[in-house]
This record gives sequence, C-alpha cells and structure tokens, in this order.
Amino acid sequence: MRDRLSAYQMKRRAGNRAGSRTMRIVLALTVFVILLPVIVTMIWTVTGRWPWPSMLPQSYTMRTLQELFSGSSPLYEILWGSVIIATVVAILGTLIALMTARATEIYRIRGRRLVSWAAMLPLIVPGTVFAMGIQVILIRMGLGDTVTGVILVHLVAALPYCVFIMTDITAAVGNSLEEQAQLLGAGPGRAFFDVSVPQLMPGILSSASMAYIISYSQYFTTLLAGGGKVKTLALVMVPYIQSGDRALSSVYAVTFVGSALLVFFIFEALIHRIMRTES
Amino acid sequence: MKRNRIVPLLLITPFALITALVLAAIINIIVQSLGYMPVFGLYDFTLKYYIEELSRPEVLQSLGVSLHVALFSSVLAAILGTLICAALVRTGRTRGAMLYAVRLPILVPHTVVAVFTVALLAQTGLLARLAFALGLAGDYTEFPMLLYGKGYWGVILAYLWKEAPFIAYFSLALMANVSETLGEAAENLGASPLKSFFHITLPLSLPAIARGFIIVFIFAFGGYELPMLLGATMPKAFPVYTYIEFIKPDFKLRPYAMAMNGITLILSLLMALLYAVLMNRLMKRIGGAYEG
Repeated sequence: MRDRLSAYQMKRRAGNRAGSRTMRIVLALTVFVILLPVIVTMIWTVTGRWPWPSMLPQSYTMRTLQELFSGSSPLYEILWGSVIIATVVAILGTLIALMTARATEIYRIRGRRLVSWAAMLPLIVPGTVFAMGIQVILIRMGLGDTVTGVILVHLVAALPYCVFIMTDITAAVGNSLEEQAQLLGAGPGRAFFDVSVPQLMPGILSSASMAYIISYSQYFTTLLAGGGKVKTLALVMVPYIQSGDRALSSVYAVTFVGSALLVFFIFEALIHRIMRTES
Repeated sequence: MKRNRIVPLLLITPFALITALVLAAIINIIVQSLGYMPVFGLYDFTLKYYIEELSRPEVLQSLGVSLHVALFSSVLAAILGTLICAALVRTGRTRGAMLYAVRLPILVPHTVVAVFTVALLAQTGLLARLAFALGLAGDYTEFPMLLYGKGYWGVILAYLWKEAPFIAYFSLALMANVSETLGEAAENLGASPLKSFFHITLPLSLPAIARGFIIVFIFAFGGYELPMLLGATMPKAFPVYTYIEFIKPDFKLRPYAMAMNGITLILSLLMALLYAVLMNRLMKRIGGAYEG
C-alpha cells in the first residue's frame, strides 16, 4: 500500500514538473510579449533615423525631448492638469464607493442587488455611448467644456471598480470591532476613523490607484465632456500618433506610462507598508 | 451600531446621483434616437431612424467590423488570459515581480497601446523587419498589412495585448483559491494536474473568466481609440462611424447618430443579459458545491 502510494506520488511529481516547465515557458513568453513593445517604443523616443530594413536605429537624437518641453502647449501644464483631474477622481471615487459600501454592507439597506447592478451599469454601457449621451446634458447643466464636467464623466468610468473593491473590503472587515469601540465609549466618528479606516486602508489605496489610472487614461470621454478645451496627456498625444511621427508619439507614450506607473508604485508601496505594519 | 434611517440614505446619495447621470445619458439617447427633439421641432416618436440606419449597407458593414473585432479579441483574450492565469497559479507566482509584469498592460491606456502596436506590427515595424532579416518577406509591401486593413487584425492584436492580462489578473484570486483547496484535493486523490485543472479548477473559475470576457467584449465593441488609430478608412468600426455622424453640424441628423448609439446600447445590454442568464444556469449546475 505504501509502495503504491509513493508510486502515485512519484508519477504525480514527475507530471507536476513537466507541467510546471510548460507553465514557466508560458509565463516567460507572456512577459516577453508584454515588454517587447515597451522596449521598442523606448528606443523610438531617441531615434533620429531608423530606415527599413535595419533592426536598430541608424542615428540617435534628442529632438523629441526638446519638442516635448518646448511644444505649443508646454508638457508640465498638461501633465499638471491630468494629475489634478485624476487625483480628484481618485479621492471622490473612493469616498463615494466607501459611502456606498457602508450603506450596503454595514447598514444593509434595502435594494442591495439594485445597487450592485447600478454599479455594473457603466461597464455594460460603452464609454462612447455614455459620452455621446451625456454631452448635451452637461452643456445644459452649464458644465460643458469644463474641468468639472470632465471629472464627472471620469467618475462614472472609475466608480464600478471603486465600488467593487470597497464593497469587498467593507464586507470582509465588518463592523464588530467598531461596535466594540463604541461600547467602550468611543463616539461613532472616532470608532470609524480610528478602528475601521486603518483596516480599510489597503482597499482605499487600491481603489484610489485604480480610479487614478482610469481617469488618467480616458480619451473619448475627455474629448466630449471637455470639448477639446480641457487638455489631458491622453488627449494631446493622439494628433502625434495620427501624424505618423513615431519618435514624437513614442516620447509621449513613454512619458504617459512612466508618470502613470510612478503614481501606481507609490500607492503599491503604501499598501505594502500598511500590510506589513498590520501583520 | 444604532440603526439609523437617515445615515444610510445620506451615504448612498452621491452614488445615486452618479447613477442618475448614467441613466440620464441612456434616456437621452433613447429619446433622441426615437426622433424626439423639441428644440429642433421634432416631436414625433418614430422608429424610422433605426429602420433607416439598419437598412444602410455601410452601417451593417460597420456593425460587422465591430462584432468581428469584439468577438475575436475577447474569445482569444479569454483563452490566453485563462492560460496565463493557470500558469501564474501553477508556478506559484501569484505575487511579486511576475505579477507586476502581467498587470502592466492593464495600466497602459489604449492610445499608448496604439503607439506600441505601430512600432511592432506596421509594415515597417519590428516584426516586418524581423521577417525581412529571416528572408520571409522580400520587401515591406510583402509583409501582411495588419494595420489600417479591412481585417482589423492589428486592432484585434492590440486589444489582445491589453485584455488577455486583464482576464488573467481578473480571474487570479478565484482560480488561486479554487486550485489551492479543491484542485489540490483532487490531485491528492490521484487526479493528474491536467485532469484536476479541466474538471475542477477551470469550471469553478468560470464565473470570473466569464465576467472578464463580457467586460472585454463590450469594451472592444464600444471602444473608439484603437479602431480610430489603427483601423481601416472603410469600413469603419461602429463607434468611429457613430462619432462621425454625431459631430455633423446639422442637428436634424442627430437622431441618426443616436439611433446608432441605441443599437450599440441594445447589443451591449443583450450581452450582459446573456451573461446573467448563463451564469444563473452555471451556478445552478454547480449547485453551490463550492462557495468561491
């Protein structure tokens, strides 16, 4: 019996090893395909001449970087605008999602199924359809071509993810500790901020970083709600792509991804720090 | 906690207001697509805009293009995404550097994906140069025209680059959980890793994969940036065509654009409904055997 079992185990281990090897190859290929275009685009940012059919550029230049900083609308202004909008969307989206999650998970309001369907709605209705439908309404509200209007449509795009994340973590954290704090004499506000908020922090940060990235990436909704007057990085780079200037569009692409990743990793580092101090 | 009626109401209000905004947009599209625009003296509710749009060959072609793009990119993304997810789970790389690499495409916006795609897949892109170096193509004109062509294959591959990792990441938590508990139990009882994957882990991870698939399908069907930047001039993807109709200065033409939006809306809702029905049946078949 013992021998048979170990024979089983040996067979399984051998199978496991072969399976793991295949899976490692799958992962290696995945990472290669993901990183290849990133690397090629980074090379393009400093490319002067890269004629067909050479595999590497024939000359390098700093022209693109100069144009990036001295173009018609200076980069730092556009970057600043995008960062402000995305930060506001991150804060508002997470706050609204936290409030919604408290209402459904802690107060157990009626119609929770309705809330979860409503949260899905912006994923079901394509962003293009929503943007063309809301434009006239924003104009009538006096929000056409304004930063506020752009923030509102970005919020709609980001909120589903914020609500999913905040609902999950609020349900997991619950409110028993908060109730205990209240029994021990803490006011409801203090019980929430001192007891629950630290526990919710990983969710709050991942919701905020998700909302930030989504807002930062919006093109069509920004174009319609902002009427081309509210300029973000996603908006100003499109004409360069359309013009076929690969070097210049690459430099915008790298700036874009670099600045988004920077924010993303700051959030990730914060989440890790909190997780570590908690455990 | 003291049961309070006003607090939860206040808590849900901002969410309700944002939802109202979405509903207002939907209602606006439906009302205008039915021809009701009092500002421009259009008062009659009619289906004529839908009927006229759906009888134009360009519109049908354009719808076909978008369905083709959405179907190919989301089916391939679901298959590849599941494979990547299984690889992450099997090799135990469910956190750390590998996961950051897989998450990268999720963070990259579609406009940037377009730049990436041009660098790789254009007729003078890296892949074509590689094909030349290997002697597979004599000149760049011999390399298949993946971009700006009627097949929209560049657009499909661009979506795939972004959405396969999305589905992998989206399904990771559930698949890791199922695999750790029931998958390993099956293997301990003698099932081969492949058998345990196809009979236990995959079916039980299906809810997450299917949900990711629906999100990706609707996104690819309604997406604007990639087909606008990488697609053919004719036929255009449906959202691109819709936007062109939408920005025509003659407001009396607006109901036509809105009818096109209405068609996208109906198709997206149908997909979501189909998903809900299928998930319901799937859940009944699994019968709560596993509460993931």
